Amino acid sequence: MSMAIEIDDLSYVHKGAQLPALERVSFRIPAGECVALLGPSGAGKTTLLALLDGRIQGWRGRVSVLGAPLNPDRPPPRARRPDTGFVFQEFALVERSTALRNVLNGRLGRMSPFHAVLGSPMAHDLDIARTALADCGIAELAERRVDSLSGGQRQRVAIARCLAQEPRLILADEPVSNLDPARAGEVLGLMTKAARARDATALFSSHQPDLARRFAGRIIGIREGRIAFNVPTSELKDDATAELYRGSGPTPELGPRAVL
Amino acid sequence: MMAPRDFGGFVTSSLIAIAILWSLVTTDVELSRLASAGPRITDFIGRMFPPDPTVMTEIKKGSAETLRIAILGSLGAVLLSTPLAILASETMVSRAVFGPVRALLAFIRAVPLILVAMLMVGAVGLGPLPGIIAVAFHATGMLAKFYAEAIDGVSRAPIAALESAGAGPLVRLRHAIWPQMAPVIARDTIFRFELNLRESLVLGIVGAGGIGFYIQTYIRSFQYDKAASVTIAVVGLVIVIEAINITLRRRFT
Ligand SMILES: Nc1ncnc2c1ncn2[C@@H]1O[C@H](COP(=O)(O)OP(=O)(O)O)[C@@H](O)[C@H]1O
Ligand SMILES: [Mg+2]
Repeated sequence: MSMAIEIDDLSYVHKGAQLPALERVSFRIPAGECVALLGPSGAGKTTLLALLDGRIQGWRGRVSVLGAPLNPDRPPPRARRPDTGFVFQEFALVERSTALRNVLNGRLGRMSPFHAVLGSPMAHDLDIARTALADCGIAELAERRVDSLSGGQRQRVAIARCLAQEPRLILADEPVSNLDPARAGEVLGLMTKAARARDATALFSSHQPDLARRFAGRIIGIREGRIAFNVPTSELKDDATAELYRGSGPTPELGPRAVL
Repeated sequence: MMAPRDFGGFVTSSLIAIAILWSLVTTDVELSRLASAGPRITDFIGRMFPPDPTVMTEIKKGSAETLRIAILGSLGAVLLSTPLAILASETMVSRAVFGPVRALLAFIRAVPLILVAMLMVGAVGLGPLPGIIAVAFHATGMLAKFYAEAIDGVSRAPIAALESAGAGPLVRLRHAIWPQMAPVIARDTIFRFELNLRESLVLGIVGAGGIGFYIQTYIRSFQYDKAASVTIAVVGLVIVIEAINITLRRRFT
């Protein structure tokens, strides 16, 4: 079976940081799987996902994404980037543009440079963008400016942009952390469903064990930059997740946000 | 003992009182002259009425020239502000560059337009040219600062997102940076154009072209009725500019 992600002995220290954000990380994810990256705040989830997206350089180890090795010194070639889609924790949308325009932005890497600069999508691109909006349940918000949308609606636009990119690998950084529990389940459900429908591999990070259990076939636990466990969801024990969050309650340094 | 706040208030009012007294005592106000000037002021105002409507041609010519000065001066300011804004932006250059450039812009803003115009008349002679140069120079102090703020206000995250999706630098500029900046730039430019138009109405008084030239000419030749007509026209123009500006500003926010 072909591998979507292969990581071997990966370590990384942020510039100016004392401790490594990732330390001796190794795992593989076969193509087509849906995997959750579970860990408390500060565990290294964002760092790992951004690194897999080719946005972090200066790491040590061996990393392959969709069969092609990542270069630790430079970003991947532009032609390869549309194959990896990213859902950003803080959405990273163009606030003054419409929802549709933002979703079409996900198509830019797939359009000819001429059409991309002009911003004139082909009928084909528009179809894909509208389908992505509909799959995320926000077809009627297409013409609304993003700065007039709620947090939950923006989250859906961010996911729709990633889907419109037609990635073979979807990396989603806490894609539902801004939603209430009911909405979180709904949105994560439609994202993983859309990924399956497109035969894409999905790796989403979360700090909520229940969501990881509901939507992932495999759960990788990460704590202080190290892999704590890597098991099929059915084999995940409660004490393993408890151990993951040990000592990460509200401490004076971290403040109340760290409870999440 | 006075509470600190009361003390601060006391110091402020004392300073204001001292300033007024100092101005009254040391300036040769000669209030007596104001009393005896009654008849002269009546005469002066009397000669302004009725305003002379025959100067319509001059008003039209002068307003058109003022408009041209404002348009070309604003264009000059936009062209000067674009590179200066990049040099004044926190996110584009280091402090060693934006610090001095910002200080320069603050200095430019501090020089009154009418003073720049007088200097330019001295340098290039009478007419609209010194007016255009003065407006371009003076407006750049504000416009470059506004543009720099527009650049610094651009959020980085959507740019990174488009790069992650495989968009090249030009495409990122067009779809992530420009949509964030364009409305701000448009609003600031219109705002500054309105100020330029309003401020250039008086440039003619120092010989830098436009409708103000006629006010100065008519007053010097004691044609107060004509000066009154031109003044009324200027006030009317300011009101029209203000009205247009209010409607435009509604569209850009
Ligand atoms: N840009 C950065 N510079 C320095 N340290 C960073 C930076 N980003 C993250 N870190 C640190 O790296 C560790 C992992 O952070 P992150 O990957 O954001 O964790 P998570 O997404 O799991 O909350 C944390 O200790 C964090 O403080
Ligand atoms: Mg994170």
